[in-house]
Amino acid sequence: MIPEELAEMALFERETQQQYQHQINVCVASGCLSLQSDQIRESLEKEVRRRGEERWCQVRGVGCMGLCTAGPLVSVGPFTDPAAALYQEVQVSDSLDIIDSLGEGAVSRLVCPTDGPFFQRQVRVVLENSGQIDPERIEDYIAADGYEGLLKVLTEMNPSDVIEQMTRSGLRGRGGGGYPTSLKWTTVAKAVGPRKFVICNADEGDPGAFMDRSVLESDPHRVLEGMAIAAYAVGAGEGYIYVRAEYPLAIKRLRQAIHQAERLGLLGNRIFGTTFSFHVEVRLGAGAFVCGEETALIASIEGKRGTPRPRPPYPAEYGLWGYPTLINNVETFASVAPIIRNGGDWYARIGTEKSAGTKVFALAGRVTNTGIIEVPMGITLRDIIYEMGGGIPDGHAFKAVQTGGPSGGCIPEDYLDMAVDYDSLVQVGSIMGSGGMIIMDDTSSMVDVARFFIEFCMSESCGKCVPCRVGTVHIHDLLTRISEGMASMGDLSTLVELCEMVRNTSLCGLGQSAPNPVLSTLRFFRDEYLAHIRA
Amino acid sequence: MLREKYASEIDTLRSRFAHRRSAVLPMLYLAQDEYGSLGEEVVREVADVLDLPPTDIFEVVGFYTLFYDRPVGTWMIQVCDDAPCCYCGAEEVMAALKEQLGICENETTEDGMFTIQRVKCLAACGNAPAIQVNLAYLYDVTPEKIDGMLRDLRSRAERGETFRLSGRDADDYTLAPDGSLQRIERRLGKTPEPQPSAA
Repeated sequence: MIPEELAEMALFERETQQQYQHQINVCVASGCLSLQSDQIRESLEKEVRRRGEERWCQVRGVGCMGLCTAGPLVSVGPFTDPAAALYQEVQVSDSLDIIDSLGEGAVSRLVCPTDGPFFQRQVRVVLENSGQIDPERIEDYIAADGYEGLLKVLTEMNPSDVIEQMTRSGLRGRGGGGYPTSLKWTTVAKAVGPRKFVICNADEGDPGAFMDRSVLESDPHRVLEGMAIAAYAVGAGEGYIYVRAEYPLAIKRLRQAIHQAERLGLLGNRIFGTTFSFHVEVRLGAGAFVCGEETALIASIEGKRGTPRPRPPYPAEYGLWGYPTLINNVETFASVAPIIRNGGDWYARIGTEKSAGTKVFALAGRVTNTGIIEVPMGITLRDIIYEMGGGIPDGHAFKAVQTGGPSGGCIPEDYLDMAVDYDSLVQVGSIMGSGGMIIMDDTSSMVDVARFFIEFCMSESCGKCVPCRVGTVHIHDLLTRISEGMASMGDLSTLVELCEMVRNTSLCGLGQSAPNPVLSTLRFFRDEYLAHIRA
Repeated sequence: MLREKYASEIDTLRSRFAHRRSAVLPMLYLAQDEYGSLGEEVVREVADVLDLPPTDIFEVVGFYTLFYDRPVGTWMIQVCDDAPCCYCGAEEVMAALKEQLGICENETTEDGMFTIQRVKCLAACGNAPAIQVNLAYLYDVTPEKIDGMLRDLRSRAERGETFRLSGRDADDYTLAPDGSLQRIERRLGKTPEPQPSAA
């Protein structure tokens, strides 16, 4: 493909879509599908065909629209249509009314108010195409300015300009650590090696986190484009996407997306006729949480046990097969193309000074609106849970929110007005993590919650270093004793001592952060521990 | 046998990486799909195909949850027992499974039909509790539907409609009120043009 063809293709696709006076998008992501949104789609299609209107009215399946609790969701467009609206809890029997309403006015009983906080407070950068395009058609992605960022870097920018834009954007690693993305890119770009690699870490595994799966299923090309731009910036020619084998649909769509992009010459040799070549391949994990740690992930691609190794040397200098390797998370790569298209300064204006941009969160647990949201950094937890999440269901009271998965902590009500960014979460003993938020109500015992997360770390510990392998087992035993009312005050101090030792002496992030859920619940819910001991 | 049956796949795998060892995981998936599990004989065969010491393969098999070193059932049922799923009743689902099948975790029913296992987050927290059966997602599972689900899985196995352990042909399902599996059809994009009938 030559550069002009991309614009032509986008234009052609947009014109084709504009020929439709009406567009009905049915959400066919897992949330809505389990509520039979496929049957709704079918009946809409049938009705459109019966009326012979298929040339003017398009019915499409699209990726996740976010508000899974109100599903099945159906949106009607374009926005100029008087009937343009988002419909919630649609049933098959509503199809007639929806089609009758086209060009007239929305079906009021089904309208899902999009002026509510759930939608209005969102700023969609990573999810801009989710629920808007068909993830299995590259043409749809191209019509939504897809691969324009890649074209721009290959034809107008040299690698250092790309990194400069990333520096300006202030983007920090979305996998959890929050390391500035541009610094990582700079190190890999400066590293010398006959080959370099770019790896996308899609080994999502934190309890309560399902954002990466949603991004890969709803917009796979965005991740590929981000990887290709990164590869150009750091001088890499090959890339791997390391995905959990548990995500069959994401794997299928990624493979399909790579195939489509290669066929159009957007990946592979001499992209856009330039000297830049980039090949991507999907690698499957095999069910090991620790493989999300970058050195363990590399070991797994190399065909070994997924155990971490001490750093330095960092993968940026000594990574896959010893070559300089850039590893970023799915969401990080998904943020790259919009940054390049709109400029780093544009991105830096979103969010806070030290944590720029947006973050995708998955809401799970005891909250009214479970689902996926993308919000600017700096929003408060209260806004996320009460405004966007709709509060706690069944008349219960909020108790804590768990962020950062097994490496994070539980944040109590007192801190709900805190702005969400990397640094403030660390201050209260949690971390940003990959974006899972588990909301807990007053029925949850915090000792049990701590035990839950330690159990997770215990079963996922790779066993390489002693503090993590043995320490997590002992922490788990102590917590079990506490929750069964068998513990003494001495056990509590042993617990703290043990937690600190595991934190200070473990080899990798999994072990170092494993005690966090215990320490943070001890900090904020000490009473509950004491109540168990005295009981 | 692997070498003959999957010659082209093996060639591709071996030629794709700078180091033979990188082909271990994909190769193990292939072998597991073929034999159902990765016992000693199978591991030795994989080692032979890749020309690696068998210990290199054994250690990998032992490390990853999705590689099984002993025979497992036709259906490998993996129940997510992470916090969001437990909030919505994963333990009750697990209990129902154990009761109906009369086995504990990591055991296989005598007829070789089912194995149950606890796993960590399957990233379907929005549709909790979620389980996977040979890596196919089943969403919104309830204890009441377990009976119907097992019956459906059994009859599928009798008809030969199983999916491979590697999840290569896995799909997404929800459970009908009677517990039978309902395939979630994710037809995307534009309506295909209706085909003119043959007449």
